Amino acid sequence: MKRAAKPVREARGERPWMDPRDLWTEALAGVLARPVRSALTTLGTVLGITTLVITIGVATTAGNQIVGRFDALTATSVTVTVPAAPPGGDTGPLVGWSGTDAVRRLAGVESAAALADSAATDAVQVRSNDVKAPGDTSGQSLAVVAASADLATAVRGTVTAGRFYDAGDVARHSQVAVLGDQAAQLLGIHRVEDAPAVFFRGQSYTVIGILGGIQREQRLSTAVMLPPTTAADRLGLRDVTRVLVNTVLGAAKQVARQAPIALAPGHEDALTVLAPVDLSKARSGVQNDVNGLFLVLGLVSLVVGAIGIANVTLVTVMERVGEIGLRRALGASRRQVAGQFLLESTTIGLLGGIVGAALGIAVVVCVAAVKEWTPVLDLRLALGAPLAGALVGLVAGLYPSLRAARMEPVDALRAPS
Amino acid sequence: MTVIELTGVERTFDSQPPVRALREVNLTVRRGEHLSIVGPSGSGKSTLLNTLGLLDRSTAGSYRLDGVETTGLGDRERTALRGSRIGFVFQAFHLLPYRTVDENVMLAEAYRRPRPGRGRGSRLARAREALERVGLGHRSGFRPDRLSGGERQRVAIARALISDPALLLCDEPTGNLDSENTLSVLELFDDLCAQGMTLVLITHDEAVSRRAGLRVRITDGSLALETS
Repeated sequence: MKRAAKPVREARGERPWMDPRDLWTEALAGVLARPVRSALTTLGTVLGITTLVITIGVATTAGNQIVGRFDALTATSVTVTVPAAPPGGDTGPLVGWSGTDAVRRLAGVESAAALADSAATDAVQVRSNDVKAPGDTSGQSLAVVAASADLATAVRGTVTAGRFYDAGDVARHSQVAVLGDQAAQLLGIHRVEDAPAVFFRGQSYTVIGILGGIQREQRLSTAVMLPPTTAADRLGLRDVTRVLVNTVLGAAKQVARQAPIALAPGHEDALTVLAPVDLSKARSGVQNDVNGLFLVLGLVSLVVGAIGIANVTLVTVMERVGEIGLRRALGASRRQVAGQFLLESTTIGLLGGIVGAALGIAVVVCVAAVKEWTPVLDLRLALGAPLAGALVGLVAGLYPSLRAARMEPVDALRAPS
Repeated sequence: MTVIELTGVERTFDSQPPVRALREVNLTVRRGEHLSIVGPSGSGKSTLLNTLGLLDRSTAGSYRLDGVETTGLGDRERTALRGSRIGFVFQAFHLLPYRTVDENVMLAEAYRRPRPGRGRGSRLARAREALERVGLGHRSGFRPDRLSGGERQRVAIARALISDPALLLCDEPTGNLDSENTLSVLELFDDLCAQGMTLVLITHDEAVSRRAGLRVRITDGSLALETS
């Protein structure tokens, strides 16, 4: 009895053992033994992963593109609209011309200017003094606005001829005007050295400058701009209707909140603020639109791919019953047999994932190239897609591997190898 | 030193009515012995082979393999013991068609813990050595489908030999071979016995059985020693 005890204990210590490299070699050989079948088996996974990568990749790229259109100009522009003062009210205008000074003091504000326009001055018959044909006195129908002296910087325009009126002109109530570049062209005024004049509402104004390259409030390029004091005196254009604010990048949201308070303390709710939309919200909004349907499509393809792998692996297991019996005879445990088939199906899934990710990325790049977009690829997507494929293969291989492991070596060996 | 020690081994299959495939089997095989078990089909040959090869469990009795009592062992331990102590040679060869003969021979070592001096690195060299030993050194790198039946069986024998088993268990090893190839395989068995290999051979072929040093006849699950 004592003699028998020792060898028995020795046997109990024995466990089936396999070098991971051997497991990998066996699984890879199994996959490569039927290369065409393996390649066809990956198709479902390839399709699914490709669809997913294209969907997510194109959505990210397109999202980035749309966000890219919110360029620096849009992102830093804040416009405050002032409603007309209630008629007969004794409170005076909501926002005074000096209100822009308060706005300019806010952190993050680069420039600010106030504008006054009205329905009455939207289409004024303006003519230059260069009347050629008698009887042709119709002139041009242009808007006349009052604007503070720093309008040029606020609309990011450049004075292409002459100069813009300055604080001195405003203080002196000078009878001067600056023309938008298109208004100047319509009126036939190209230079201001000879002090041309424009006539409207029976008054004459000396044109001292032409403002071009207007990037905000582009309607001003067809307008006649007057100093606020002059406009108030001669046209009754007194009340500020719009305040244009330019901020540094990233400050727009904050300034949009503070500007109304600075302009009209106590009445800030009466003002309407136009601020750039939140960029991150815009991006995710676009992505959500594109993603939903195609994500479902991709996932369906993945499920189909998984079923394909499961099917083929099951067929492979049934074809290799003899081989399973041999491996069991050579000392392979049930777990090692299951591990090999699981690794084979995972490898097929991984291959499908790699091919799918590569195809998907190629398509995303092509789409971006055709649309002249900048392709945006999430590294997590590029690396995660093959892993997702491997996971599909792993799940698909569970049942066939279990079947392989359950086989009794005696029965399995009866099958031809 | 005994390699196989069967004491009162019974194997009954739970069918209706129950089949007693092995009855009170007692058998002892010592190291270096060449034993043949002969009997007609349905006599319990395969059951005995499966029991000896730890592929099947006996219903009663005790089986000691290479000094290890196997009766109470679990599936994993039996599997490990099978991999480390027994080399199988099957009638159907059971070679993997998509692997070279070297890879087929090396497969026997994939499922066992490497012993000192028999690591993974020297496996190919040992596979070639085993192929040389069965006279197939010139077939290294071939796939099984390019070999004759006799050569395939010798590859299978090389696969059984590489792990240096305590017991070579052959199930109708010449059943699929013509007379010429049968002769070459039997001569190989003689050589292996001369080198001290313990060989148990199950066959229904009297001519094959006659070459063994020790012959046992199985009839209806009972063993009887044959004298020449």
